[in-house]
Amino acid sequence: MRFFADREICYADILPPPEVRARIEVAVLNFLKILTCTDPAISDLLLINRKSSNRRVSQGLLTDDDTWIFLSRSFCKRTLMRANAAKAFIRVWKVMEMCFKILSQEKRVTQRELFYKLLCVSPDCFSSQLQVNRTIQDVVGLLRCSRYSLGIMASSRGIVAGRLLLQANNKEVVDCSECGSSGYAISGDLDLLDRLVMKTDARYIIIVEKHAIFHRLAEDRVFNHIPSILITAKGYPDIATRFLLHRMSRTFPELPIMALVDWNPAGLAILCTFKFGSIGMGLEAYRYACNVKWLGLRGDDLQLIPEESLVSLKPRDLQIAKSLMSSETLQEKHREELALMVQSGKRAEIEALYFHGYDYLGKYIAKKIVQANYI
Amino acid sequence: MEISSTSNLCIHVMLLAFHYILFDSILVVYPFRNRWMETEIVAVNFLCISKMPSISTTLPALRRSQITISFHPSNFHAAIKSSMQFLILESVAAWKNSRILTAAALYLLNSGVNHASFISIYGTEICLSISESIDVLVSEINHFFQKMMILNIPPALRLFFFFFQNIAIELLIEREDIPGSRCENVFLANRSNPGPLSTSNVEFLKSGLEDYVLKHGNSLTQKCSTCFATSECLKVGSGIACSTESHKSSGLMMEVVIIISEIESTCPCFRECSSKTEVLYFKDFTPCSISHSTLNVLSTIDWKSYGLTLENVVDRGVCVLEWEDSPSHSHIDMVVHCYHKQYPMHKTQLERHLIKKAVKAALNNLKEKHPGILLSAHALKICSHAPDLARSIAGLILSSNDPDFQGECFSLLGLQSREIGADVVEDCIEEKIVSVIEMNDRKSRQRKVVAPFLFEADCDQDSNYQDKEYEEGEDEFGYVD
Repeated sequence: MRFFADREICYADILPPPEVRARIEVAVLNFLKILTCTDPAISDLLLINRKSSNRRVSQGLLTDDDTWIFLSRSFCKRTLMRANAAKAFIRVWKVMEMCFKILSQEKRVTQRELFYKLLCVSPDCFSSQLQVNRTIQDVVGLLRCSRYSLGIMASSRGIVAGRLLLQANNKEVVDCSECGSSGYAISGDLDLLDRLVMKTDARYIIIVEKHAIFHRLAEDRVFNHIPSILITAKGYPDIATRFLLHRMSRTFPELPIMALVDWNPAGLAILCTFKFGSIGMGLEAYRYACNVKWLGLRGDDLQLIPEESLVSLKPRDLQIAKSLMSSETLQEKHREELALMVQSGKRAEIEALYFHGYDYLGKYIAKKIVQANYI
Repeated sequence: MEISSTSNLCIHVMLLAFHYILFDSILVVYPFRNRWMETEIVAVNFLCISKMPSISTTLPALRRSQITISFHPSNFHAAIKSSMQFLILESVAAWKNSRILTAAALYLLNSGVNHASFISIYGTEICLSISESIDVLVSEINHFFQKMMILNIPPALRLFFFFFQNIAIELLIEREDIPGSRCENVFLANRSNPGPLSTSNVEFLKSGLEDYVLKHGNSLTQKCSTCFATSECLKVGSGIACSTESHKSSGLMMEVVIIISEIESTCPCFRECSSKTEVLYFKDFTPCSISHSTLNVLSTIDWKSYGLTLENVVDRGVCVLEWEDSPSHSHIDMVVHCYHKQYPMHKTQLERHLIKKAVKAALNNLKEKHPGILLSAHALKICSHAPDLARSIAGLILSSNDPDFQGECFSLLGLQSREIGADVVEDCIEEKIVSVIEMNDRKSRQRKVVAPFLFEADCDQDSNYQDKEYEEGEDEFGYVD
């Protein structure tokens, strides 16, 4: 048990545009000073290491609930002076230049838009969206300001439905239980999300891994049978969805948050990301960790599904399992579930419950919640 | 066959002459016996110029046959010349390196040249009588002297700078059976500034090779002004490596001069073979062919770190380095001179170790003096990113609406007005970036280049800093959203 572990935290500030522009200007001035001094050099870029070796955990003393991961002061560098890595160095400057211009024009762009802009201006430097995303994280790690502060909006995949009233900027109130099965789309604009006024009479918040399941539950208006808010990121959680969830958990602290995911390592990983945060965006996403419980699908639910619906684990699943096992943050009971998956070599999807009928899912959830059967 | 061996014989004799003259000795070989003629060796001696002249004996008359080939320094002070005529002998018994002389004599005896009647080397005059056709011989001899002039002023004759300014080698070809057939060929070691007496050998070698290049292999008497309008066309670098003297070795000096010349392809004298370099090799002040082991060493040099790719090393009597992808308008010339610091010379194995050191020293010297040439492949690759980086930085400066920030940037770059265009700013930044890359390329041979960080790191660098690249991929399966 380490006290004050979070003193070692490295984080990205959420800054207003003029402040970010100022940081970029300082970067340029430093570069030029070093380039034109008596012993000139091309300065290296020092970035916070986004690897598991630099991952630290902050744990509450009394419970495991308040656990989150963050990145510490381990660095790596980007340099021009190694031929094979020089392009990555150039990419950081290119993205900084683009963000500077975007902020000067007081605009915001999505990562996708940024990718296409960069592709037009510097086609030799950028070849994929993933590369652009990683370079953006490099800039976040260099300037220590959040991605949103750089003028880059998260494109959100998230939707929310259920017993929640939202009001944005004194506009009309949106009732998320009346949005139909498609729900209310979560904006990628974190500022906007931050200013949302929220009201609820729900008793639970349910994170749903997959869109199809969310759709089914919303259509059946499960949130009326069990007063709840349904939220999904349609897979791996994006930052806007996590942001909103976090806001909900702060605004409605008495609401337990539980997750409905597939019984496979990827499902557990999604749960863990909501719960602890991620390394990829470790500099800013540490803020949005929530206390999430595992509702289902779990090992003791396997008796409910036909054996045919158990499918073999793929190599990717095993890779994810290994990564999760090595994480010190994984709770004991979750670890047991994971071990069971690996041992059996099997996985199962939530849809397997439809074996008992399409309305079975709602009943299953209700029963589990009432029994407080979540870990 | 016979002609080539005649040429070899002739060259060899001249080499001997040079060799001994340059080491302050005069070799006098009187008419000697060979199997076919009835002449006899009278005496073989040699002596040092530095000793007081002791005029004891006049020279015997020299017998001449059909062709005489002679060479002698021109503008020789008459008095000195005449005294040299008599600086002949001490005593028959005072032979030095008699083994060498005997070997020379044996060589001549066994050379298989049927018609060599006698050989005499008189003062600085060599007479070789041959009854063969001379055309091939003459071109070989011409070629020989063209190379010899690279060595410039031989050490022994530098003493005579006080008396004259030019050293020349005059090749007189006279056919005695054809009266009036004498023709001359002069090789001028022409220096407007011969340099002080203390000028080192390598400086002479440099100016010799420069002349050689400017006169297209010393085939012209003057510098070719069409190809080389200015002296800046030549980039000269030199390197020296030496071994220390010990009781076992007399100390070996290895001097290398490399010249990179840039000539217009429109020039009529433009050489097609810019991708080849003939390595001119001298040993103890005489031209020589490179040994196989030395040749192998040349191919093990890390040419890539100078931006050169060695395709092939050809050895057909002369050593030729063939380059891959060399720029078409530039040519590399190289001379290597290996000599013993002291006379007499002992055999030494160090040559091939020293040549690598000296060649690298010459290449590094070129890089020091002429930034931007011989950039390693690594540096060239990094330089290719310089325009992109410069464009980014310029873009950042120019898109700012903070005049103070822009002002400070311009002042750091040494740019005056803010009204200048993006091109000017980009070019200025790019130039500075490239110069740092070039500087680091030169430095990296000596020590690891460490660049400062853009921002002050607020970490305990020693324990936490990982000096490695951030590698993409791996780790958490999670991807950035």
